Amino acid sequence: MRAQDGILRVAVPKGAIFEDALRSLSAAGLPVGVLRENDRRLLYPAEGVEFVICRPTDVPVYVEYGAADIGIVGKDVLEEGQPNVVELMDLGTGWCQMILAAPSERAEGVREAIRHAEVVRVATKYPRTARAYFEGMGRQAEIIALHGSIELAPLVGLADCIVDLTATGTTLRENDLTVLDEISTSTARLIANRGSYRLRNAEVAALAGRMQRDEARIG
Amino acid sequence: MDRVTPRKFATTPGTRDVLPPESTRLVEVQARIRERFRLFGFGEVLTPALEYSEVIEEPRLRDASFKLFDPDNQMVMLRPEMTTPIARLVSQRLRNSPPPHKLSYVLPVYRRADVGRGRSAELYQAGVEVVGSRSAQEDAATIALLVDVLGSLGLRAPENFAVVLGQTAFYEAYLRHVAPETAPEVLRALAAKDLVAVDNLAAGSSREAALGVRGIPRLVGPASDGAVLEEAARFAERVGASEALAALENLREILRHLEAHEALGAVILDLGLIGRHNYYTGAVYEAYAAGLGFTIANGGRYDNLLERFGQDLPATGFAIYLERLLSVLPEEGPSDLVVLVGGGVEGAENAGILRASGVPVLHLCEELSPAEALRYARSVEAGWVLYSGAEGSVELAPVREGAEPEALPVGEVAGRVMGEARGVVR
Repeated sequence: MRAQDGILRVAVPKGAIFEDALRSLSAAGLPVGVLRENDRRLLYPAEGVEFVICRPTDVPVYVEYGAADIGIVGKDVLEEGQPNVVELMDLGTGWCQMILAAPSERAEGVREAIRHAEVVRVATKYPRTARAYFEGMGRQAEIIALHGSIELAPLVGLADCIVDLTATGTTLRENDLTVLDEISTSTARLIANRGSYRLRNAEVAALAGRMQRDEARIG
Repeated sequence: MDRVTPRKFATTPGTRDVLPPESTRLVEVQARIRERFRLFGFGEVLTPALEYSEVIEEPRLRDASFKLFDPDNQMVMLRPEMTTPIARLVSQRLRNSPPPHKLSYVLPVYRRADVGRGRSAELYQAGVEVVGSRSAQEDAATIALLVDVLGSLGLRAPENFAVVLGQTAFYEAYLRHVAPETAPEVLRALAAKDLVAVDNLAAGSSREAALGVRGIPRLVGPASDGAVLEEAARFAERVGASEALAALENLREILRHLEAHEALGAVILDLGLIGRHNYYTGAVYEAYAAGLGFTIANGGRYDNLLERFGQDLPATGFAIYLERLLSVLPEEGPSDLVVLVGGGVEGAENAGILRASGVPVLHLCEELSPAEALRYARSVEAGWVLYSGAEGSVELAPVREGAEPEALPVGEVAGRVMGEARGVVR
């Protein structure tokens, strides 16, 4: 169930954008200190607010169902899950790119195959995004949904290419993968439950107003 | 040996059997809602669960519906909502009756969308449609009816619920005035509640226009204080968007009448609310309950929907999602159901006496031990167990934990049982 009356519940993603999320929340005046205590709790009550720590892909689920009032999550996750939440603000942090990549020595071949509308095998953690991308181009793809280490798939012949997220390109280089196309860019977003956004608008809007936008990084 | 239930014996994904006490409560809530609808003069209609696929035009609803083929190989759909079927019904059956048509329904609808996300495929709804009046008073009256229904079920505004009200035509007219080229894209982004995309699209407009394109969808606040409307008016006046101002005047009139209906305190204005369906043309609203992330009801004005069926009539209405509503209703008092244990001929006589005074009685012919009787009473969600004694005296035992049985004349049982039952729908 929902947090007690008067307590705003905030879903915070662990992993890559955790630190950036804390900075934004702290800029909004929320007592994020408790989250740095680094124990294994998942629920952190603090002054006037309660934090839920969860996987980035689960943040929109908590928010959509109203288990959390607001949350911070990457645009990539929102595009993949299409949750029914209010997307309030681009925080500008956690910049990354959704790319199509293939092993360097076969990159040209894959590019040709796509151009000729042949069916290519694509490994990805983002099946909906990948499908929309190929359909948008009028090209065909067999999507293989995996949960991690996507770069491995083309190296062992599971797929011809991958659709994945990259920030620095290091993993791609290390595995000798070449970027064939940049599909979209993603930054962290502040999202709100539809009901909380309306019923507690003054609170949520004030909070959003205090969060600092990292203007330089908005792509 | 236990065997795993074959999959085909389960209910299909997204559907379920509803058992007491939930089914009892659902039926009671439906009865209460019917009573309120009738009190406001609405006539209840039933439409078929199956409609020709052409009847539903809204892309989101078409995608979400279950489709099948009839013996003539025509595609039919399980109705994904009631508004369009009622528009069809009015156009076909009520051509010769004078409008407005005030119709209500209490029926399930079927949607395959989101089944994978743990949502229902079969949703019980109750709603009304007022067809044939363009008046803002009808928008206000239907919203007031929604507030009345929720109030009659024990919900209080603004602590327990709020109706969030927007005006599709206001922002649309503003956009057509300041940024006609990007308007469709902005509206699509807003329908998806993506305010970041709206911000980005506004960047293409002049400074003055961009302020409104970004600012209007973020105008949210209680309807009882005038701030939201004043700010909205300033945005529209600054660029001279007269159509937008007319839409705002419509909203003001709705609010005036909501005040007369004493429903204004339950309303929150949100000028970024434009409704999920394309057919909405004016006032749109969604009801939210504290503690639930989903809408418990939604509705609005759809002045162009009936044109498709050959009857150009304006209309407005709402639908309540009953399962969601049920989940936020206050707890009921103890059940008034009495399990009467055995007692032979006296038992039958006592059952008759109690039923005559309105007490529901489940009479068992078997003589059960107190422990067995209690277990049985709990399984049927009864509030009381009753044993027949000698000469019109009985023993009444509340089912709740730690309560003592009590001997009393059968004539006093009704008062005791009805006195404690404080169901919200009684």
